[in-house]
Amino acid sequence: MDNRITRRRRRELVVGAVLLVALILLPLPIGDVYTRNLIIISILFAGLAQAWNILGGYCGQISLGHSLYFGIGGYVSTLLFVQAGVPPLIGMFAGGLVGGLVALLVGWPCFRLSGHYYAIATVVVAEIGYLLFLNWDFVGGAMGVYIPFKGDSWLALQFRTQKLPYHYVVLAFAAATWLAAWCIEGSRWGFSWRAVKDDVVAARSLGVRVFPSKMAAAAISGFFTGMGGAIYAQYVGYIDPDSTMSGQLAILIALPAVLGGVGTLWGPFLGAAVLTPLSELSRSYLGGSGRGVDLMIYGLVIVVVALARPAGLLSLFGLRRRAKGAPDGSPA
Amino acid sequence: MKRFGISLFAMAAALAAGAPAQAADEVVIGAVYPLTGNGAAVGLDAKAVLEVGQDLLNNAHDPIPMLMGKGGGLAHLGGAKIRIVFADSQNDPQKARAEAERLITQEHAVAIIGSYTSATAATISQVTERYEVPYMSADNSSPSLNQRGLKWFFRTSPHDEMFTAAMFQFFKDIGAKTGHPVKSVALFYEDSIFGSDSSGAQRKLAGTSGINVAADIKYRASSPSLSAEAQRLKAADADVIMPSSYTSDAILILRAMNEIGYKPKAIMAQAAGFQEQGFLTGAGPLAEGTMSRSSFALDAARTRPAIPAVNAIYKAKNGKDLNDNTSREITALMVLADAIDRAGSAKPDDIRKALIATDVPGSQTIMPWAGVKFDETGQNTKGTPVIQQVTNGTYHTVWPFDLAVQETVWGVK
Repeated sequence: MDNRITRRRRRELVVGAVLLVALILLPLPIGDVYTRNLIIISILFAGLAQAWNILGGYCGQISLGHSLYFGIGGYVSTLLFVQAGVPPLIGMFAGGLVGGLVALLVGWPCFRLSGHYYAIATVVVAEIGYLLFLNWDFVGGAMGVYIPFKGDSWLALQFRTQKLPYHYVVLAFAAATWLAAWCIEGSRWGFSWRAVKDDVVAARSLGVRVFPSKMAAAAISGFFTGMGGAIYAQYVGYIDPDSTMSGQLAILIALPAVLGGVGTLWGPFLGAAVLTPLSELSRSYLGGSGRGVDLMIYGLVIVVVALARPAGLLSLFGLRRRAKGAPDGSPA
Repeated sequence: MKRFGISLFAMAAALAAGAPAQAADEVVIGAVYPLTGNGAAVGLDAKAVLEVGQDLLNNAHDPIPMLMGKGGGLAHLGGAKIRIVFADSQNDPQKARAEAERLITQEHAVAIIGSYTSATAATISQVTERYEVPYMSADNSSPSLNQRGLKWFFRTSPHDEMFTAAMFQFFKDIGAKTGHPVKSVALFYEDSIFGSDSSGAQRKLAGTSGINVAADIKYRASSPSLSAEAQRLKAADADVIMPSSYTSDAILILRAMNEIGYKPKAIMAQAAGFQEQGFLTGAGPLAEGTMSRSSFALDAARTRPAIPAVNAIYKAKNGKDLNDNTSREITALMVLADAIDRAGSAKPDDIRKALIATDVPGSQTIMPWAGVKFDETGQNTKGTPVIQQVTNGTYHTVWPFDLAVQETVWGVK
């Protein structure tokens, strides 16, 4: 049994490496910035969904407030850059750290709630954060913060019209989240977390320290989400509470993971690979009519997947083999 | 399921391949507006009015006495047609940015026009700056937008500081005329970017005009109740209440004040919700006497003869009169088209030069402005707004006094 797990994990690592190489090469033959932008946004959301998955999937704590960590990460790196001149390449780690720290602060009271109550608490806390930033003049309030363009620079993560550097930044980010998820899956932590997810009482009886497990998952998840927010802010060049801390964004972060397969290594990526291009392409080519056709298609796909594949898109692949062999009790 | 996946992919591929090639005798202008989601109502009106503008520019019709009112395409470009390609920003800065980029690189737009909300304008104007095509801001009113040192940013519309300056100028003029000057104001504003910007300018100008700010009330946009705020307004009982609110809040605060039996002496609104037809219908008799700034005056046909013709065409298409937003949008399009025509070239750099040289008298537009002339930040310095007042259920222009169609009903004693 152990051998099979090791073999499977090694295979996943190989697949991950192959995919990484493929994604490194992917933008090279693509000349137009629109498609490159599409790929960048997809990879960014893949990374964000994976970050969400670490807490929401592996540890089973459904958070609908990840927009808070995303926004705070974005604000920290942006303000460090605009006010103190700290380059965003460094600032994004600061953004991640603060994101993780805030996740711990939110987790401290909220993890005492379970199930739906926890999910609702995260919505409320995120809304409080949104309102705070909306009314806080130091961070630009409702007006947000413009990031001035100071010429091409890796340190500042600013590039006039080039997309390729951003591609590699988001790719590195998404790869890091994947690697973290991969490590967690095979570690003692990962097993504890999944035990917490399946049955808290049973997990406790086996000696799993439930609360610290949740806190650790929240910190890692918050860190990566904050980092994603920092990258997003630098990519877009403008940050305000509505676009980086809204409840809608919290859903958009969770959705790829849920649609692709919660608590799986590939689910969040698969979900983002389907959802983001679908939403962007349909908006670009059908949205100009103003009839909302693009949103109807988007909604329809989500409903169809939810009905046909409640366990996520990932269950389309190797369903039978997994049902027999999977020891991790991923939902099937 | 597999087949479903394949057909999805095929659809995406078909969509991606469907970008039309640009014909030689047309000039593409990109328009980024919120066509779905919040802001969609305004965005769809913008789309309708810009399509009216496109028809006026391209088709043969009776000449309208305004800039580019002759029709028949761009004369200096051999009668080339303007084609406007619309994109949906969903009122999201990231999406607005991506769409602007797509319009420039894939649709070969030589200029972008937009975008209603200031947050989307912030990112669109960054894209146009980097790709070096002009961004024509038709209706973004945040004062900070043109103060970022952008070379490719142009704004025909006045911004909130200019609007607010007009209100305080009106206070001064009406005070001199009636002998009852404004001594105190109460600021009442919603908490999004619009309310913050607007109230900031008002606070500043009240300070420099020596007018006391008796109350400074910020409220959560789209609140279910504004009773507490109404009480505070009543307690302050300032000479003029200055609200910056969208439609539903505008109706709600008038009702809330009415419920507690408070009749303000004067209300001077920062347009927005107060200028919407929905407000006039929803507030009914309570709206009587309310004043608002406006960048447009539908009743100024005496000095702006093009208004009835343009309004009739727009009304036939969209079923409503031109308003503060739609009038500014079609004016921005005409100014942009005129610059392209004068440039005699569809090269962004030539268009920019022509825009800088723009100097159009107000009588050549449908706006009550002194004219259109851009300063070095790209801001139109001649976009002078008007003050209007509701009587018998519609707004009538009362200031500047030479454009006024009736006397101001002035409640300040």
